[in-house]
Amino acid sequence: MSLLNTKSLSIGYRKGSESRILQKDINLLLNEGEIVSLMGQNGVGKTTFIKTLAGLLEPINGSVHYGDKDLKEITPSELARKMSLVLTEKPFNFNITPIELISISRHPYSNWIGVLSQQDKRIIEWALEETHLNYIANRKLYELSDGQLQKVMIARALAQETDLIILDEPAAHLDLNNKIEVMLLLKKIARQGKSILISTHDLQVSTQLSDRLLLFNFNEEAKEGVPEDLILNGTIQKSLYLDQYGYDMISGTINIDQSGKTVKISGTSEVKFWVTMALKRKGFVISEKKALLEVICKGMNDLEVVEGGEKNTAESIAELLFKLNTH
Amino acid sequence: MIHQYFEESRSKWVKILVGISIAFILCFILNISLGSVLIPIQDIFSFLTGGETSKESWSLILSNFRIPKALTAIFVGSALGISGLQMQTLFRNPLAGPYILGISSGAGLGVALVIFLGFYFGGFLSITGIGRSWLLVVSAGLGSFLVLLVIAVVAARIKDSVSLLIIGLMFGTASGALVSILQFFSQAENIQAYVLWSFGNLGSLSWKELGVFIPVLTIGLIASVMLSKHLNALLLGENYARSLGLNIRKTRLLIIVNTSILAGTVTAFCGPIAFFGVAMPHLTRMLFNTSNHLLLTPVLILFGATLMLLFDSISQLPGFGATLPINAVTSLIGAPFVIYLLIRKKNLGYSFNA
Repeated sequence: MSLLNTKSLSIGYRKGSESRILQKDINLLLNEGEIVSLMGQNGVGKTTFIKTLAGLLEPINGSVHYGDKDLKEITPSELARKMSLVLTEKPFNFNITPIELISISRHPYSNWIGVLSQQDKRIIEWALEETHLNYIANRKLYELSDGQLQKVMIARALAQETDLIILDEPAAHLDLNNKIEVMLLLKKIARQGKSILISTHDLQVSTQLSDRLLLFNFNEEAKEGVPEDLILNGTIQKSLYLDQYGYDMISGTINIDQSGKTVKISGTSEVKFWVTMALKRKGFVISEKKALLEVICKGMNDLEVVEGGEKNTAESIAELLFKLNTH
Repeated sequence: MIHQYFEESRSKWVKILVGISIAFILCFILNISLGSVLIPIQDIFSFLTGGETSKESWSLILSNFRIPKALTAIFVGSALGISGLQMQTLFRNPLAGPYILGISSGAGLGVALVIFLGFYFGGFLSITGIGRSWLLVVSAGLGSFLVLLVIAVVAARIKDSVSLLIIGLMFGTASGALVSILQFFSQAENIQAYVLWSFGNLGSLSWKELGVFIPVLTIGLIASVMLSKHLNALLLGENYARSLGLNIRKTRLLIIVNTSILAGTVTAFCGPIAFFGVAMPHLTRMLFNTSNHLLLTPVLILFGATLMLLFDSISQLPGFGATLPINAVTSLIGAPFVIYLLIRKKNLGYSFNA
């Protein structure tokens, strides 16, 4: 069943009678248990889209539906039980503890003076455990790092117990470990039947985590599909304008400049990979064919440079680069 | 683990509340013991427990002057502290206070109009006693109510709170300007009467006036307890608060009306008591190191009352001869204390994301 769908939705900002449209005619269907990533360049309308879905901004045209109900007919408190948000903005008050902050997300369920029930406490505990935040639950927000705070905000959204969670750049402040942890957590939650919409710049997150991608473009309609399809048919590259920087989707690297000598690299695979990376960074053009310059990777500490019949050895990539006169 | 947290937090706050309650009782007794007539402490206790005092006049002094004054101080302290807290959270501004939206200026304008224009129509100074005090109450009340009305209408139309804050400041400045024009054209006695009003006075309320004062403020204080949950949601910022089901415009209006009732009533009956409403929330946040309104609100109600009793006691300490204006005492003693805490605790900035 679809949890959320948009019908010919146009988003943007209104200024008096005029409106600046960022995206037109978005038709997104988000099903139960699905993770959809929203990608696009800065300023293309990702956050505007999220705010429109959350009812924080009015649609310019078209409509947003939760289940079979139009967003316009959903009261704020009803919406608070259907959808929770993780935004890029920070709370304005840091003199509270993560537990207090997460408790606030139980507002749609608690009574008029906000007394927490046993059930509320169990949910808060669950959210803290899922995000591995127990060790800092008692501190003040001002004692936390940006990454920890980000996870607290995610725990807050979890504790709101909604079927849909919308996250704007959830991986932005996280280190690799925490990013993976959050990704796995979102996957786990989705498996329990919740839907997740993430806006992200992170190809790793979007390709490995999401079931589908929604791509926003400037002056062009939004594209949607399974990540791998969008990579193979070049849509991602085009949407994110990666082509002009020579982005290599398979290795996930960019070619910064290629004005140097041509070099052929051979040898053991892992060492060869990193030597290739280093030489690419220094502007060498990597060739598969025979070249005047050749590097043979025999091992981590055993690199051989052949240039015009002259042999040289290097014990590290640093030494190799030095001998190639590229420092 | 979490149960332990809630358990510990509860026992900590129960201790804090019990502590403040004891301080409150002590300050209350101190407050009614002080005055131009010395009444022995045994007689105070015997009066409080419903017994007789050694002299009949002491009973009269206590029941007609000191108890009403102490009750006034209690409610003024609670009401100003709470309305300051609400304004600071709503506008996310540490400089906000109960009068930030121009309520006291509105009241001041009302009073100024009555005093200065009254001069031309028979003379304000000729009215004395009960009539005069009610006239002041009604004019100040009407003045602040008018400002409130305009602010509420604007608040319903405007989206962001910062603009509202600035509009409030503009109202304050404009009414201040009108008051100075009125002063410019008026007689010295009238100016003195106005200045006396602007000093603030806790001692002028009779039981009859308390019969209006206390119920109105009690309703306002109960409403503020009910608003605490929403104020907590506002700590996350307006977007998050809305995603939690909060109707921002309605909540904002409720907070403004609540604050206006609290601060407007205080101003109408006691004059503009500055400083306390701005400083009290900071003092409470720093001393008890929290911004959780579910805790801050009850603590502030009790703590505000306690400190106002204390300040009022200081204003009439023996040796001064006369009672000092309450505004002077709160600022003179409060300001250094707030500065000391700011330097010592260094935790205030965190409440305003600084």
